[in-house]
Amino acid sequence: MSDSLISLLTALGDDELILGHRHSEWTGFAPHIEEDVAFSSIAQDEIGHAAGYFGILGTLTGDDPDHIALGRAPEDYRNAVLCERANGEWAYTLARHWLYDTADDLRLEVLESSAHEELAQLATKMRREERYHLIHADAWIKRVAHGPVEGRTRLEGGLSRAFGEAIGLFEPFEREDDAIKEGWLPTASSELRRRFIDRASASLDELGLPTEVRAGVDEAAEFVASSSGDLIASGEEPPGQGTRSTGGGGRRGVHSDDFRQLWDDMTRTYREHPGATW
Amino acid sequence: MSTVTIEEQVWKALAGVLDPEIPAVSVVDMGMIEKVEVRGATARVVVLPTFTGCPAVPVIREDVAAAVSRIEGIEEVEVQFSFNPPWTSDRITDEGRTKLRDFGLAPPTGAGPVLITSIALPVKASCPFCGSTDTHNENPFGPTPCRALYYCNACRNPFEQFKPV
Repeated sequence: MSDSLISLLTALGDDELILGHRHSEWTGFAPHIEEDVAFSSIAQDEIGHAAGYFGILGTLTGDDPDHIALGRAPEDYRNAVLCERANGEWAYTLARHWLYDTADDLRLEVLESSAHEELAQLATKMRREERYHLIHADAWIKRVAHGPVEGRTRLEGGLSRAFGEAIGLFEPFEREDDAIKEGWLPTASSELRRRFIDRASASLDELGLPTEVRAGVDEAAEFVASSSGDLIASGEEPPGQGTRSTGGGGRRGVHSDDFRQLWDDMTRTYREHPGATW
Repeated sequence: MSTVTIEEQVWKALAGVLDPEIPAVSVVDMGMIEKVEVRGATARVVVLPTFTGCPAVPVIREDVAAAVSRIEGIEEVEVQFSFNPPWTSDRITDEGRTKLRDFGLAPPTGAGPVLITSIALPVKASCPFCGSTDTHNENPFGPTPCRALYYCNACRNPFEQFKPV
């Protein structure tokens, strides 16, 4: 059908799959039993959503959705770097969860009117489910923001790290211009990024959280075509361990070291036991 | 003269297909069956999954196919899952709601289709054990994607609420 549609579905599915995998790592380890349940359930939703995107993708490419999820080389994944980062501490997890689900809501809202009917229907259904992720994330951010100073300080630390990385969710995917022209993605990533920064900033203000957590986010930064034709954020370094970045790279397969560890873990059974069923 | 059409037989068979995760209700009670079509010896059933990531979907596919293929005159069953329209919790029938309550699960609140902007957990759910609304939410998530956890302050039982979606 269309390479740009394949590219869009890959980015969307990979974001959900990889973040879903990270969330699932809290199963058995979350600081509170209710959060153990919550993150396990959110992980199940996200991975289910990835299966939805990969299901459509499979009808276009002829690939088995399981193979799309688990049978690709690390450099073939197109998730944003934000999604692959190690969970680290709880505050970072909450900050990422909140930023991601805020961004995802904006993205799904526009996908509801995608020219690809099946994608539009899937987005409509998923957005209703994702509502509960947002309710959960909003409740936690509010609770910690209005709570004792240590939690608040840690949350600010988590937000400072995650905010810049969240911008990478809006790095244009390959052939995005074509996807917009065809109507698969009705609104460009650059416009979605603007809406995201506005919405997240308004929430920070409302919660009395310092907007300085956005420091390092260059709102005007353009993801520009490099001489090799790759899309890169101007002046950006490849994502490294613990460095602060604009979170770009993921949409062209450039990932952090954290991704390698996740990929190794996530795909191990699939690689070591080809054709296994359970 | 009353004859039972083959479509009616399919609906009847579907009324016996239970939700694998909530075996007190059928896929018909849950409002998951969008369409039944019979052409010749082929039956086509369109099913709306309650949640996108519901792990029960493959089981439901098998159970629907098995139940419908037992009908005399049906040789082939096509089970198609669709998100058009999206399944919403107002599709659960009144009978389904009663069965959920008897099973110990508070049915979703709200009568009409739930607007995206108003999807939320009720502050006070109605306890399926004692009927009290002196309850509180403990977790917007639960043992399956479609359930939230509540606690009844009156009879001191934890219970689950089917999420309005």
